[in-house]
Amino acid sequence: MAGGGTLGAGRERAKRGKPSKRKKKKRVGFVLDMTPLVDIAFLLLTFFMFTTTMTTPQIMQMFIPPQTDDVKVKCSELFTLRVRGDGKVFYNPCEDAPQYVQMKDLKKLMFDANLKLKNKLITVLKIDDNVAYDVVIRVLDELNLVEGDLVPAFQKENLPRERRFTIAPMTEKDLEEIKPL
Amino acid sequence: MSKVKMKRTGFVLDMTPLVDIAFLLLTFFMFTAKFKSEAESEQKFQIKRPKASADTSKIPDKDLAIIKIAIDSANIGDTSYYYEMTNEKDRAAVYNNAKGIDDSQRGKMQIKATLANLEELVGESRIQNPKTKFAIDADKRIRFKWLNDCMEVMRKKRATAFNLVTDKKQGM
Repeated sequence: MAGGGTLGAGRERAKRGKPSKRKKKKRVGFVLDMTPLVDIAFLLLTFFMFTTTMTTPQIMQMFIPPQTDDVKVKCSELFTLRVRGDGKVFYNPCEDAPQYVQMKDLKKLMFDANLKLKNKLITVLKIDDNVAYDVVIRVLDELNLVEGDLVPAFQKENLPRERRFTIAPMTEKDLEEIKPL
Repeated sequence: MSKVKMKRTGFVLDMTPLVDIAFLLLTFFMFTAKFKSEAESEQKFQIKRPKASADTSKIPDKDLAIIKIAIDSANIGDTSYYYEMTNEKDRAAVYNNAKGIDDSQRGKMQIKATLANLEELVGESRIQNPKTKFAIDADKRIRFKWLNDCMEVMRKKRATAFNLVTDKKQGM
């Protein structure tokens, strides 16, 4: 700015020959070449636009019990979900015969089962070793979404929601039961 | 004809609003930009995270230890564990003290680990800094077995609270 200023003022002085009036004079024709500034600004802008990733990863919290002690539970409170190697989900309350459930119906199923037994229901999730992690997350996600519906439903009855959920190992017996389905 | 040939000598375009907006965007992107960590620029694989529905919880960045379960070659079956820590002081201590790790790995940001290594690293991290938070960042194509083994290791070392890293589902 200083360079442009003196240049303009110098020209004025040479023309008029009145150095005393220089300070008061309005610099009407003042032009600053902004091109390099704009060039750099746009360069940086494009750089930052291309390097930023808008989707920051989010997290899903998990808590696992420190020890796998044998805890005695009532059969009626158990609700088993089994995920087979091909990603199909089967459910059975207590020791009933397992039934196939579609992923989109899982939420409704869990909601109803939880509502019936209130906080007593224990969800046991058994996942086959060959299940893709993608499917595991989808099932866990559905189960998490159910909580979002359950909390207000329980609140109407002044019942705080206590979640009882566990991931158990898939045994040979489990596999046998869902194999023919 | 003369009109067409005439040079437009006094042509002035007011660039002020353009520059205003450009700078506004520039500052916005500069402040929101988050750069890859050193460890990430070192890694040769890319993790395709599974999608989960929108959650407000973001990944913590302080005292975080990340276990990455990644497919690190063209072959889908080749899955490996990687261990990475954000706290530099802890990282140096953990990587040097953990037993059974190959010496060539110790200076790295990210350690390629076996299950036994992982157990050692998780345990050592908890000794060095009990506030260490754990996250499992796994590729969506891996088999559950890898995650299950990893969780078993965490259970053994009493790191019972951890996070699974996911991506936000689009269009929800």
